[in-house]
Amino acid sequence: MADLQTYSHDAGWKNTILRGLLYLVLILFAAYYLFPLIVMVATSLKSLDEIREGSLISLPRVVTFDAWNYAWNEACIGVECTGIKIYFWNSVKMAVPAVLISTFLGAINGYALTKWRFKGANIVFALLLFGCFIPFQVVLLPMSQVLGKIGLASSTPGLVLVHVVYGLCFTTLFFRNYYVSIPDELVKAATIDGAGFFTIFWRIILPISTPIIVVSVIWQFTQIWNDFLFGASFASGANAPMTVALNNIVNTTTGVKQYNVDMAAALLTGLPTLLVYVLAGKYFVRGLTAGSVKG
Amino acid sequence: MASLTLDKVRKAFGPVEVLKEINLAIEDGEFLVLVGPSGCGKSTLLNLIAGLESSTDGEIRIGDRIINDVHPKDRNIAMVFQSYALYPNMTVRKNITFGLEIRGVSNEERDKAVADVAKLLQIEPLLDRKPSQLSGGQRQRVAMGRALVRDPDIFLFDEPLSNLDAKLRVDMRTEIKKLHQRLGSTIVYVTHDQIEAMTLASRIAVMKDGILQQFDTPQNIYERPNNMFVAGFIGSPSMNFMDATLIEENGQLAVTIARPGSPITLPLFETPESYKGYVGKEVVFGIRPEGLTHKRTGSEAAGSQYVNFDSKVEVIEPTGADTMTVIEIAGKEIVARVRPDRAPTPGESMTFSADMSQISLFDPDTELRI
Repeated sequence: MADLQTYSHDAGWKNTILRGLLYLVLILFAAYYLFPLIVMVATSLKSLDEIREGSLISLPRVVTFDAWNYAWNEACIGVECTGIKIYFWNSVKMAVPAVLISTFLGAINGYALTKWRFKGANIVFALLLFGCFIPFQVVLLPMSQVLGKIGLASSTPGLVLVHVVYGLCFTTLFFRNYYVSIPDELVKAATIDGAGFFTIFWRIILPISTPIIVVSVIWQFTQIWNDFLFGASFASGANAPMTVALNNIVNTTTGVKQYNVDMAAALLTGLPTLLVYVLAGKYFVRGLTAGSVKG
Repeated sequence: MASLTLDKVRKAFGPVEVLKEINLAIEDGEFLVLVGPSGCGKSTLLNLIAGLESSTDGEIRIGDRIINDVHPKDRNIAMVFQSYALYPNMTVRKNITFGLEIRGVSNEERDKAVADVAKLLQIEPLLDRKPSQLSGGQRQRVAMGRALVRDPDIFLFDEPLSNLDAKLRVDMRTEIKKLHQRLGSTIVYVTHDQIEAMTLASRIAVMKDGILQQFDTPQNIYERPNNMFVAGFIGSPSMNFMDATLIEENGQLAVTIARPGSPITLPLFETPESYKGYVGKEVVFGIRPEGLTHKRTGSEAAGSQYVNFDSKVEVIEPTGADTMTVIEIAGKEIVARVRPDRAPTPGESMTFSADMSQISLFDPDTELRI
């Protein structure tokens, strides 16, 4: 009995230490990742004078949203001092249609590739899959020529087209892999019931695709919103997306370096993707786990 | 309702021939069961009838109409799938009426049709639930409801009971049979379960390797199997096969089975013409377990074709109603069906009666019935 007690006492003590170490490591990691964000948020809330006097990591003495206001409404991008807001709307006008169109086309592709298997479906899928591995840089030149020829150069619709074409590979892959696990008998039953290709798609397949639609939207929105290379290459000046505008604000060399404005602009640029994760992340996880319990 | 005819139907996937010249014809109101082991082509055949796949060759007719090139929705068929294939996003009511809605049937007619079918299948309380909220048996009923509501010419069932547990399967089997008797509809039913085939069918088509082995009534298939495959596939426990020789003794034909010690000689009472050519040759002697029983008493045996022989008992397997007794004859395990109160103990020797009216002889090379 005594032995046993000693043993359990010992184990409890060991456990506490291990637990403590574990938490220490986790806290260190969390701090490591949180630190840049804290610095950014803190700096964006300081006045320029305070930044000049104080240290990098100190919290703001006086919280002011002037920098945010300035970045949104007045910051100079190049020679135009219109703030980042018009570029924010450029990004919205680019990302929303591009995400919706590429997700929708991916869904139809995946549906056709799995449920209406035609001759050569595997080859088509393999080629689409191949598209996932083509680096952005490779397509820049031919893409700009195509955009020029069809009259969409330096425009938001041109960017939408580029992102739809580029995202199609990924969305098709998502939907195809999701639809593979949906029994073919569902489509057969609907066929006998008299429904055609699109009726089955709208009435039966799409309503049960919510989880994968969420996955596709999150992925595509993050990719397209955060893209810099296509934005910088195919849309210049007033049509540039927010990421490009941010770069231009930060790299403007005239005058005093306004760190607080830079930080506020960067945070504004990052907010939409964060928002998508916060809003859809719940459905994302729910979607991934739905159906795992046998019904 | 209508008759169904398959005329020289072939199906090949590339170089692989999965169906080789299938000829079948059933009358209006018949219950055809396609039965066979996995990969025999029975589901493919059903898909051809449904129009979900197209035949490589041959003609499929419903009534007088050739339907080879008719779209599934225009064939006036309904199908019940193995996985039920209920639309997961729709309520039971929507599931049942989806086909009607697509066909542009009016709201009132749909409501009435759903009410009738729900009453017939006793699923009225389930109409507003989603498929995920139903048990296996309930889903099965809904799947049948979806087929019934359309009032088609032909019902197609693709292994509808194989996802249910044993007890429920037997209950649903009876219900399907009742439904068929009540509606008198033409049904084509695919299964790999020979008991389902025997109990449900008005005619059975036994298939193997894409070839139709036998197409006949259940009783004929059971009593007069065309070949050794059909004989072994239908019936449980399956038919016993023994290597034997057909001989002629004092003007009477008999089979003799060689074994260490004395051979067993069993005289044949019914001798079709076809037996004549096999005198003195090797044959395969087939007898079902119920054809081999404990020794019959004089009154039991009167007027029948019982022949007695002795054998040592290896194993007994009581089933309650009968005791399956395994004996060994010439290196082969043979199952006899013995009344429990007459059951022997393993290791002892016992006299068995073979009912010679229930035997089959097969050619050892072609495996065909002689």
